[in-house]
Amino acid sequence: MDKDYNINPNEDTPPFFKSWKGMYWLVIGNLIAMVALFYWLTLYYS
Amino acid sequence: MSTADWIVLFGTLFLIVAYGVYKTRGSRNIEGYFKGDNSMKWWTVGLSVMATQASAITFLSTPGQAYEDGMRFVQFYFGLPLAMVILSVTAIPIYYHLKVYTAYEYLEKRFDLKTRTLAAFLFLVQRGLGAGITIYAPAIVLSTLLGWDLSATCSFIGILVIIYTVSGGTKAVSKTQKYQMAVMMGGMLVAAFVIIDLLPEEVSLGNALDVAGSMGKFNVVNFSFDFTDRYNFWSGITGGLFLALSYFGTDQSQVQRYLSARSITQSRLGLLMNGLLKVPMQFFILFVGVLVFVFYQFYQPPLYFIEGNLDKIEQSSYAREWQALEQQHAETFALKKQEIQGFLRAKEQNDQPAMASQKEKVEQLNQQVAEIHTQAQTLVSRAVPEAETEDTDYVFLHFVVTNFPAGLVGLLLAVIFSAAMSSSASELNALASTTTVDLYKRSVKKEGSELHYLWASKFFTLLWGVIAMLFATFASLADNLIEFVNIVGSIFYGTILGIFLVAFYIRYVQSRAVFIAAILSEAIVIYLFFTTDIGFLWFNVIGCSLVVALATTLQWVIGRKAQ
Repeated sequence: MDKDYNINPNEDTPPFFKSWKGMYWLVIGNLIAMVALFYWLTLYYS
Repeated sequence: MSTADWIVLFGTLFLIVAYGVYKTRGSRNIEGYFKGDNSMKWWTVGLSVMATQASAITFLSTPGQAYEDGMRFVQFYFGLPLAMVILSVTAIPIYYHLKVYTAYEYLEKRFDLKTRTLAAFLFLVQRGLGAGITIYAPAIVLSTLLGWDLSATCSFIGILVIIYTVSGGTKAVSKTQKYQMAVMMGGMLVAAFVIIDLLPEEVSLGNALDVAGSMGKFNVVNFSFDFTDRYNFWSGITGGLFLALSYFGTDQSQVQRYLSARSITQSRLGLLMNGLLKVPMQFFILFVGVLVFVFYQFYQPPLYFIEGNLDKIEQSSYAREWQALEQQHAETFALKKQEIQGFLRAKEQNDQPAMASQKEKVEQLNQQVAEIHTQAQTLVSRAVPEAETEDTDYVFLHFVVTNFPAGLVGLLLAVIFSAAMSSSASELNALASTTTVDLYKRSVKKEGSELHYLWASKFFTLLWGVIAMLFATFASLADNLIEFVNIVGSIFYGTILGIFLVAFYIRYVQSRAVFIAAILSEAIVIYLFFTTDIGFLWFNVIGCSLVVALATTLQWVIGRKAQ
């Protein structure tokens, strides 16, 4: 990430999580869960 | 179409347009016109981002994809959630802190004016083509299926979009997109329930899923690695990731949506909302296509879905051959239906050997149906040379028009129009902002008043709207609309993304190296596209990698020469 831009470390936190990392893991976790579900669907009907 | 359909269709469209014009009148400067005074909340941003991507092509072509090829197309979107996370971490803070109007403004701060201009130019070419296709695609399908005049349909869509986009700028686009998304998803949900209701009484939803599964439609995820395979997990998670990074991070039609948010937080939440909802949304739209497929296992589908061409075929010298094919199609369909019903009986009795035997028979008959369809396409190309032979984009709308009750046809058409308008509006808004900010204000008229630039913005919005309408009226169509749009994108996006990746992460590289690298990379990608069978998603990775590698190498060479 470009370090010349002084990102405010006290930037607002997202809802429900203490930090943005939690939100990011929610999105990634949601993707993993969907891929797992879709793969199960594929196997079940294959 | 019935009177109820016309009322629903035009009522929906005019209400949305009128709302957009009324609520967003009175922009005073280009900050308001292009950034909505930074007033949008995260859900407006999220819906706007989703509506911008979900054009009419999504709703026409995606169900047809599932009908023809199963649900594997959903893998194309697997990289998108990862891209939303990456952009939330990297691009959004940078754009906000620099207070840019366009993504390409950042490139001048990082490199120089010519790199900014090159990236803006690549965007204008690629998105300009895209804007025309966004209008043309639904227009040609509607024109062919419903007999509407093509030019009039293109003009109707274009004029509606121009009215509220010119009037209200970004705010009008975002506010109308909320309601357009509601119409789109609400309409598709209604469609799903109607299709399930239309299935024969003896066929439950579970039976429908079994039929679809036995015929290979639930081929959702494929982990095998095949460079030439358009859709598998790996092309989605890598090629799809690069495409999404480029589209959402560097394409002004998306960047402008989240730059209008109130804050970095609202902007991030909007993108992450897209990251959470996009894949399930696409899965659902594909699933609707699968339901249509199942319907047509119990009710005979037409041999060829583009019925507008049937008269010409039946009046040609191939009429007899066509009738023979239709007869063969009907007989094969009847046999297949019997075997499918046999499969369902065997499943009910949990008779595994019988199920396997029936499944094999169904597969063979399905193969015969596919061959008959291919023969039909060959006949069409001979009887009506100018006709489109690939009819997957017409499957869903044909199904709606011939099977839905009065009023709901109008609703589904409103879905198509809303989708076309929501994407077109974002595109015109973005084309105008890039033209105004990156070209006109930066290089042509540098000392103008705010009012002058505001009027210039409106003029460029109108100009691009007219160009898009003209292009739509004269464009010709590829085999599958949604693939064509993504192919065009993939040819340009990799290079643009490469420029931005170098800008963000490789501080060592300066303007001359990246400029030359970008031009070389674009030339190589175009050459590879026309001379190889590489799946189009991979061009995003190739273009981007080439820019990064060439720019780094060239900078080293330039540095050594300087020494």
